[in-house]
Amino acid sequence: MTLIELNNITKRYMSGNQSVTAIAGLDLAVRTGEFVVLAGPSGSGKTSVLNLIGGLDRPSSGTMTVAGCQTDMATDRELADFRLNMVGFIFQSYNLIPVLTAAENAEFVLQLQGIPAPIRHARVTELFAELGMEGLQNRRPGDLSGGQQQRVAIIRAIASEPALVLADEATANLDSKSSTDLLEMMRYLNETKGTTFVFSSHDPLVIEQARRVVTLHDGRMVSDTGSRA
Amino acid sequence: MESLKLAWRNLFRHRMRTCITVLGVSLSLALVQTYHNFTAGVYAYMVDCGVKAGSGHIAVYRPQYLADRNPDLAFAPAPEDEDIARIPGVRAVLPRFYLPALAQSSRENRNIQLVGADVPREAGLNPYLRKLPREVLERPMRKRDAFVGAGLARELGLQQGSRFVITVQNGHGELVSELFHLRGIIESGIRDVDTSLVMAMREQVSAMAGAGNATHELAIILDNADMAASVFPAVRQRLLSSPEGLEAVSWEQAMPNLYNAIRWDYVSVKFLSFIVLAIVTIGVVNTLLMSVMERMREFGLTLALGASPGRVRLLVMTEGLLMGVVSMLAGSCIGSLATAYLVHAGFDLRPFIPENLEFGGVLFSALLYAKWDIPWMMEVAAYILLLCLGASLYPGIRASRAMPVETLRHI
Repeated sequence: MTLIELNNITKRYMSGNQSVTAIAGLDLAVRTGEFVVLAGPSGSGKTSVLNLIGGLDRPSSGTMTVAGCQTDMATDRELADFRLNMVGFIFQSYNLIPVLTAAENAEFVLQLQGIPAPIRHARVTELFAELGMEGLQNRRPGDLSGGQQQRVAIIRAIASEPALVLADEATANLDSKSSTDLLEMMRYLNETKGTTFVFSSHDPLVIEQARRVVTLHDGRMVSDTGSRA
Repeated sequence: MESLKLAWRNLFRHRMRTCITVLGVSLSLALVQTYHNFTAGVYAYMVDCGVKAGSGHIAVYRPQYLADRNPDLAFAPAPEDEDIARIPGVRAVLPRFYLPALAQSSRENRNIQLVGADVPREAGLNPYLRKLPREVLERPMRKRDAFVGAGLARELGLQQGSRFVITVQNGHGELVSELFHLRGIIESGIRDVDTSLVMAMREQVSAMAGAGNATHELAIILDNADMAASVFPAVRQRLLSSPEGLEAVSWEQAMPNLYNAIRWDYVSVKFLSFIVLAIVTIGVVNTLLMSVMERMREFGLTLALGASPGRVRLLVMTEGLLMGVVSMLAGSCIGSLATAYLVHAGFDLRPFIPENLEFGGVLFSALLYAKWDIPWMMEVAAYILLLCLGASLYPGIRASRAMPVETLRHI
């Protein structure tokens, strides 16, 4: 079943007075349960593609459907609902809210969804245990290592059981051991829960772990390995 | 509940900044409340002194008397006066007769304001008589005893027991003179009063004017100025049957100088309060705006995670509201403590001003007391809350307009 479908997508930005094309006529289809890496050098359009898929931005032209939502036509309100209910985000800089504890950060999206507190606590506690983070729930982000913070960000992204998790350079700030642990964890979630992951990365370690690698250059797709077991 | 918790923690990211702002708002609220209560106490004192020496809280006149001060517009005391005295909240009804006159001693003569009053009844109430020695007031009044302003007595060369002549024009246009004995010297501290007032028995003064036992004014003194609103209609009701068509007027109408002096001062107090609260608003906006600008990335992230702009706005406004609640409680506590002190101990102005100070025709003691005005304290406290909420509106809008893509680009 196709989860993401991009048809002839173009994205142009204005940089000063100049129009810059970030994505030029991209076609991409991702099926449910895939583990995809968008690879390519800096400026190749990886983040722009993730922003479009995640409903953070709209294409300049082309059509796209993600998890049943035609996001190129959606209103701001519909996009906010789409992001809240369909997508989990993991960022390079973790982006945890410093005044909240690890557990509260992890529950943040669930809280936005209006899930009752006991259910939230139970779900997050289970994920903390599953990802080897027991005992760290009450720590503030400042008291956690980079790898631990990124795990909390992953729990936040998957706690609401979204159809899709988007990870933008999620391992860029981690050492190789933490990166490997993290990727194993994501693979585990992909395999056990069937969550679809789309990464952007130029880290060979990440690319190696991917089942499918889509390589971009100057906003165009230059290769797509297709799904590999 | 979670929003409240998050807002509370956000406020304490910069503990010092938040504390300074809350302290500033609290002290401003306390200042405005205390200053208002202090001025309310001063006004109450002014009104109390003014009405007791002047028209009373409510005064009764014949129509047009207030406008013309025509001595012919007198009226005979009637049984209604006793009815008025029985209205709950009425402490005393003081009949007075006013007449321009000439006072002559062996040395000088002066134009005077002759006031005919029921001196024994006035003694415990009228502030002009308050400073007189007890034995002077306790001795039974004789028909021709008179109290004379200190300045006037000096100018006429009179001392206690001196005799002097008062001449008036009666209702038929004839001059009538009577010999009076100076029984006591009034030292009100108010120049106009001390240089022109002569107070004698009303029956004697009205008789000189050929008005029999008439009076120009019934000064109604209340137990409490706040009771005027309830007593006034009752007084009017009792005057409906008076043959002269007597009318009741409030002290504000009867003593416009005092009323306008208080109003003018009150406007300046309000203006000062407005400036203080405007500064508070700027302080709160500044704190919240700084806090929001520092967290734009975080707001962008929150929006990216699916929060609606309204939710982000609500978060910032909750921070403003919390700041308002804490400031309101702390400020009201400080304001109440300061007011309680000023109500009981008063504020001693003697190091700064002369012993007595005249304002609006009223003499002030240099030791002034505050008066509780709880409804107003609650009103201004609620205003502080609304002000903090209002001050958070713009920062909230700024936060809700964070662009997730722009914000995340820098992450």
